[in-house]
This record gives sequence, structure tokens and C-alpha cells, in this order.
Amino acid sequence: MSDSRESLTKVEISFTVNGERKTVRAHPMERLLDILRQQFQLTGTKEGCGEGECGSCAVLMDGILVNSCLVPVLQAAGSNVVTIEGLAAGETLHVLQEAFLECGGAQCGICTPGMILAAVHLLNGTPNPTLEEIREGLSGNLCRCTGYSQIVEAVERAVHPRTTA
Amino acid sequence: MRSNPADYEMIAPGSLYAIVSLLAKEPGVWVPIAGGTDVMVQYAAGKLPARKLVSIWNLPELRRIEVTAEEIRIGAGCTYTDIRRHEIVGSEFPLLRSAARWTGGVANQNRGTIGGNIVNASPAADSLPALLVYDSELILVSIRGERRLPYASFHTGYKKTLLATDELLQAVCLPRRFSGYFSHARKVGARNAQAISKVCIAALGHLGDGVVEDVRIALGSVAPVPLRLTETEKIVRGKAIDSELLHLARNAVADKIQSIDDIRSTARYRAAVAGNLVAEFLNRLNSEQPGPERGEVKDVLARWNRSSVDEAMQAILPCCASKAWAQGMVARRPLADESALVAASNETWHSLTQSDWMQAFQSHPRIGERSSLEPQSQTARSVEWSAQEQENVGHAEAAVKIALADANQEYERRFNRIFIVCATGKSVPEILEILRRRLKNDAETELHEAGEQQRQITELRLRKWLQG
Repeated sequence: MSDSRESLTKVEISFTVNGERKTVRAHPMERLLDILRQQFQLTGTKEGCGEGECGSCAVLMDGILVNSCLVPVLQAAGSNVVTIEGLAAGETLHVLQEAFLECGGAQCGICTPGMILAAVHLLNGTPNPTLEEIREGLSGNLCRCTGYSQIVEAVERAVHPRTTA
Repeated sequence: MRSNPADYEMIAPGSLYAIVSLLAKEPGVWVPIAGGTDVMVQYAAGKLPARKLVSIWNLPELRRIEVTAEEIRIGAGCTYTDIRRHEIVGSEFPLLRSAARWTGGVANQNRGTIGGNIVNASPAADSLPALLVYDSELILVSIRGERRLPYASFHTGYKKTLLATDELLQAVCLPRRFSGYFSHARKVGARNAQAISKVCIAALGHLGDGVVEDVRIALGSVAPVPLRLTETEKIVRGKAIDSELLHLARNAVADKIQSIDDIRSTARYRAAVAGNLVAEFLNRLNSEQPGPERGEVKDVLARWNRSSVDEAMQAILPCCASKAWAQGMVARRPLADESALVAASNETWHSLTQSDWMQAFQSHPRIGERSSLEPQSQTARSVEWSAQEQENVGHAEAAVKIALADANQEYERRFNRIFIVCATGKSVPEILEILRRRLKNDAETELHEAGEQQRQITELRLRKWLQG
């Protein structure tokens, strides 16, 4: 691969990531996933299958859940991307992060960022989901450790936090 | 082998015109990419032959759903989430909503588009059998203009379509004719969701007089293209559903299926399942058959729900001669039952203008007469109903009839329109008393009283109309 060809097809692309305005020079077909991990060192977003089947690379783009492995970075231009790193406010974890911790909703951790973002997306649209709606909302996210019960429980906990210890 | 992004060009011109201009300039060179749920998968596997891509993601011209009285027009760039959330899709096209719900998980539904599903022409795409049975049409656009063609003709072979190299799929149009049908969708795969189908079915049907009046069946994953089972439909149409018919239908399905052994299933399994799915649909259609008492009501309404706008207007106008009312009723279709029909009528009636009300009033004959002042607004049916409503007038004494005619005249002089009363069940002396009381009303009070009487007449007529 020659440098001249590289410079020929690279373009400048700007978008917002976790509230910060970013500009990258990239090939338009580079995957949003790779830009997040390699250029911005936001390695919370994981690559699982790389073909949109497992949800471990899920991020929010303009508020909607997308698999970042299927987003060419050019299509992210001008958008507002939120990754797992953008959920906590400083030292204060997002209520879903707290709930996953409390309920043991993570084992190996690969699926966790995508699971949490899928749950955020679900609760944004359906603040009080039924068990069925929780399962459907997370249905595109696979957990290879099969820790689904605790994951679903964590989302329920976030919806109905215990008022007493 | 993973692809190298440096080998690919991609642009996002941002307008439909710019995109079709580009396709015209270099036909077959630029491949459109919407939400990437197919293209990016091929790319990841190093199997994307195109080197130049043009983004059509989120293009406003392609991402809208327009609803007219006749059809719903879904932009090719609408995602499965857009489709799942659309109210009319939910109420009138349940097969499409089911397919949208089954297609991938949430993230892929947020990015995958109906246009991508159609153009990629996978025989296993869940939405395609639904589009077939709903008689969809496609709008293709190029710099040369638009053309519209039946979706049923679009797929010409495995992953082959009629799309020209300079064309883009702009929209898919579904006629609003099927809301009265019983619908059935089922997918057979390794799991219910997140799995590509081994076989899927989308079917519509309705019964009348104990036989199948109409039926429309399509299957996915059993042939190189989504398959409409027209021969099976012919065998079933006009017949009562019994075990013999199920047997005939199963055989017809098996004859038609030329499916293949592939990684997901075998041809023999698919043919057997396809026959079972068709039989299951027919059994369910049969058990949906309404009981004898409510049957006619359901038939009249179901037929009206799916008839054309003109037919539906003509059918309902005898109940109330205001054109605006009839238009309002037609626009509120589909109506599920008698109470929904009456509720829609009340709501429509109260939303009308005074001149719309006048049109309804003036179509009635005077109390004691048969023909209206505006006979062109009467139909055979409304004449018959007027006669029934006024049946007591014929039995009245001559002196009372004369008094009624006099009071009618006085009313018309005072209010400049005919006297409207819901006469059903009322004796002539009663009507006369009501008329004399209402002569003392001021104009506005009387207008509302007349309007209320017309509303009651319409309601009674709607109930009669439903009886067939």
C-alpha cells in the first residue's frame, strides 16, 4: 500500500464523541469501531464478531443504538457518538453501570459495554420496560459467558432501584 | 481475509438528485450503501466487489413514510425501526410489522432499511413475502425519471432484479386494501429471532359464506426469489376449508417448491415445512370464521374496509348524505366493529361545517313525504330507510297529517331548511309535538337539535347497513 494512495483517499471527518468535538483524517470506509479504538483510544467498545451479529461494538449514534463495526466512519460525520466511556459523570457511575456491578451482570466483560449501551437505548425509549421488553431490547447482544439472567436482573434493578439496603 | 479501507472510495453527496446524477454518469460503478447491515458484512469478509460506494444513509428524500387514502408509501431508506413504529403499518400491514420485528436485533433494526432488503434480493429476507401478498409496487428513480412497477416482477433470479445500473430504489408503495383480511406470519429458523429463516410465510385471507373468498400466500427461503403461491391460492379460493382441501393445498405447495440444500437446511425439510405452514395458515383462517350472528356485520365492514375510496363512499352515503361525512368515515378506515363505526361517525359528524350538515339534512324527504327536495341525493337504500323510519306517518289520521304539513311549512319558513327528526319509533302526534316545541327554538339551539337528530338517524342507519 503506497503513501500516495493513502493520502488520495483519506478525508477529514468531524463528529462529537462523548461530548468532545473530534476531527480525524481517515479512509471513509474505515469502521467507526476502529477509529474509536485506535485513533481515540476508547477501547471500551469491543470487537466481537465484526459482522453485526453480537452487539459488543454497540454505541449510540445520535441517540440510536448501532453496531459500530457496520458503520463506515464517513456516515458518522456530523453525528454525536456516545461510547461506554461517556456514560459516567466523572466519578459517578451511570445508574445502569451501578446496577450491572451490583447484580454481577458481567463475567468476562467483552459484551458488557454493548449490553449497557443497549440498555441505555432501551430505557431512553421505554423508561419502564416489561421483562419481555428488556429481553427484546438486549436481543442483539450476545454474552458468550451466558450470564443473561444477571444482565436482565441488572436492567430491572436500574428501573426499580431498591430504596433500602 | 479482511478488506483494506484504502482500497475503497466512498462519498456522501447528501441529495437524491446528486446521487442519481452520479449513477447516470458512471452506471454500475457506484454502489449505494444505506445502513451497512449487508454491505459492511461483505466488506468485513473481504467479499465486497464494488470499490466505489455512495452513501444514501439518512437521505431525507428516502426516509419518509407518506400516507394517502389509497396507499402507504415507504421510502427505501426507512429503517426497520421506522417501520415498526409507524401507526398505519401497525394497524393495516401487520405482516410487514412482524417482519420488521424479526429482522435482526435492535441495532440492526436501527440501521437496516427496507430498500436494502429489497435490492439485496435475498430469498430469505423476512419482509419480502409480506410485500408480495400486499401487492406492493416499487418506485425506481434515475436521472431519466421515475418508474413504477409491481414488486412481484422485480426479482428475476437469485439476487437478480430489474433495477437498471443507473437506478435507485426510491420507495415501496402498499395499497390500503387489506386491513379487513385475516393475516398470518410465521418464521421457521433455528431460533425465532436473530436467525435467518429456513422457511417463512406471509399470508392473507378472508372467508365469506363458509368458503375462502380470497387468499394470498407467499413464502421466503424456498426458491431463488420470494415466492407467491398463485396456484395454491387458485386451488383454495372458493372452497370450504376441510381436510381434503388441506391435502390438496399441501400437494400444490410441494409441487411448486424448488428449494435447495444449503447450510441452513435441506430441500426435503423445507418442502415439508412449507406445506405445514400453509396448512397451519388455512386452519387458523378457518377458526377465525365469525359466528353466524355477527358474521354479516363482520363481512360488510371487512369488505368496506378494503374497498376503494369511491366504492366505500358510495356504500356509506345512504347512511348520511353529507359528502364530507362520508369522506371522514372513509379516511378513518379500517374500523374494527359496530361500536368503532358508530364512534367514528359521531366524531366525524361533530367535526363538520354547517354547510356539510345542510347537505345531510336536505337529502331527507319531509316528514310525511317520500321524495326529497334534492332527489339526486337519495339512493334506493336511503328511500327505503326513510320509508321505514316514517312508517307510522302512513297510519296517522288525515287531520294530523294536515297539521304536520302546515307545521313543516312554518318550520321551513322560519329556519330555511326542512325539519329533521329521528322518526323511528315515534308516532305522528309525538312528532308534531316535537316540531311545535322546536319552532320556539332560536336558530343556534335549533341547528344543534337538528344536528343531534341527524346523528341519531345516521347511527340507526349504520346499524341497519351492517346487517347487509
